[in-house]
Amino acid sequence: MDERRLTGKKNILFSTVSVIILVILLFPLFWTLITSFKTEKEIFLIPPTWYPHVLNTRSYAAQIETGDFNMFKSFFNSFVISSGAMAIAVVLAVPASYAIARYRFVGRKAMLLGFLVTQMLPVSVLLTPMFIMFRNMKMYNTWGAAILADATIGIPFSVLILKNYFASIPKALEEAAYIDGCTRMSAFLRILIPVAKPGVIVCAIFSFLYAWGDLAYGMTFILDQEKRPITAGIFNFMGQYGTKWSYLTAFAIVAIIPVTLIFIFMQKYIISGMTNGAVKG
Amino acid sequence: MKRIRNFFRYDNIGLLFILPAFCYMMFFVGYPIISNIILSAQNVTVKNLVKGQKEFIGLENYITLFGDDVFRKALLNTLTFTVACLVFQFLIGFLLALLFNKNFRLAKPVRGLTMIPWMMPMTVTALMFKFMFSTDVGIINYILRSAGFIKENIEWLTTPGTAMIAVVAANVWIGIPFNTILISTGLTTIPQELYESASVDGANGWQKLTRITLPLLRPTIESVLVLGFIYTFKVYDLVYVMTEGGPVNSTHLLSTYSYKLSFDMFQYSKGSSVANILFLILLLVGILYLKITMQGEED
Repeated sequence: MDERRLTGKKNILFSTVSVIILVILLFPLFWTLITSFKTEKEIFLIPPTWYPHVLNTRSYAAQIETGDFNMFKSFFNSFVISSGAMAIAVVLAVPASYAIARYRFVGRKAMLLGFLVTQMLPVSVLLTPMFIMFRNMKMYNTWGAAILADATIGIPFSVLILKNYFASIPKALEEAAYIDGCTRMSAFLRILIPVAKPGVIVCAIFSFLYAWGDLAYGMTFILDQEKRPITAGIFNFMGQYGTKWSYLTAFAIVAIIPVTLIFIFMQKYIISGMTNGAVKG
Repeated sequence: MKRIRNFFRYDNIGLLFILPAFCYMMFFVGYPIISNIILSAQNVTVKNLVKGQKEFIGLENYITLFGDDVFRKALLNTLTFTVACLVFQFLIGFLLALLFNKNFRLAKPVRGLTMIPWMMPMTVTALMFKFMFSTDVGIINYILRSAGFIKENIEWLTTPGTAMIAVVAANVWIGIPFNTILISTGLTTIPQELYESASVDGANGWQKLTRITLPLLRPTIESVLVLGFIYTFKVYDLVYVMTEGGPVNSTHLLSTYSYKLSFDMFQYSKGSSVANILFLILLLVGILYLKITMQGEED
């Protein structure tokens, strides 16, 4: 970034331009939010209204009351699935990335390459074999199937991100811990992980978000609407009710609540994850 | 026992840390990749998926695919979709990165907020764009009509050519933040002094862009484009939710066609052949990418 801070007219000009661009970019979100509070009748008005003239919260409330399409249930399913996938990804990826950063063991390069390649994998390659596998494991149509499958997105990403964090921790810190009587395990758990904590948070966030956004696994491995994640719920709903936009937009808003919360409270981790994850492979 | 302990004494102790993750990935990713290859060489439909004889038919699935009009269409669509998305998201992302690189007061917070589209579940993005592109209630038709560009509402998602425009637009929206943030990061690595001495030598803005920024940004641009290619080429949810590959297969991508073959038409072997072709293309591009980025890195 330019080191000199812009001041005066230039500052105002650039700030204005950037805000206009932001408004255009985020318009779809604004529009969805507005629509979710309109009545179905108002949605069809021409010219469209820029804010709900009649505030309608039924699109949200109806989901709880009637229950035939309970989005809060799908929300809960998504939450369980994403948290499960996140837990697996973090627990497995943290030690793995430490190993890659610190030790030159047999097969290190091949494994690293393996993690890189899985990031390029299209879901369609895994769907049918996993489908057959989960049927054989009697896990088809359970949360477990989606959790196990979603974790495979988070693990390689987390390993590749975290290895940079562990590699940046000075070796001396670890050696000092050994001198003070730590074993490898206790040094790893009590010294290194706390130091690499920002990286661990990035991995947790992204593993959660990847699982939260997944449609293919949740839709293919879970059959009952009762157990399906919110993305599959939305897709189903679109198939059945087509253009009931008041409900659909409300559904969309509920689905992005966690994304918004994560964004508000953990923005710096997201930017760090996007840049590190992509540039370093 | 002693030999085992000696093996793990030094660097190989790393294996103990990595094996859980590695085994997990071998079981849930490695094994499925192999079984998908085997599946594509068989003749598996809904009848013999779980039980029954699976006939080995070699490359027959692949050969029939290349005679399949929908497959050829999907391959072409995937390329069109990817190239169109890359061009627009790169150009817009690049311009935004240049803008946010200026040190004005709102630069950082606004840049942060532009990241939101990238984090959204693709299903939600697809829904939002489906709504905006819908014929009668769609805000896009309304805006175009009031601006005088069109007289009649366009049936975006049910007309072949325009459906592709709509899915590209949705995907560009997701891709812009990714391009912006990576190019922004790349820009910060260019030493400020270069621009200062160029100014002293009387270079104008355009010259600085083409003689300093672009050449020095080349590694970043390469990464952004290759990664963008990989991410875009395998997009699935977005298009599946918006159009399911329709109308008349005009937005079918390799990914959506593969899904349709396997889980709508229950021709599992054919579906997995399409998936393998998709993977093979990505793998080739990926190897190219690794070659570029691994140069100069010790490992």
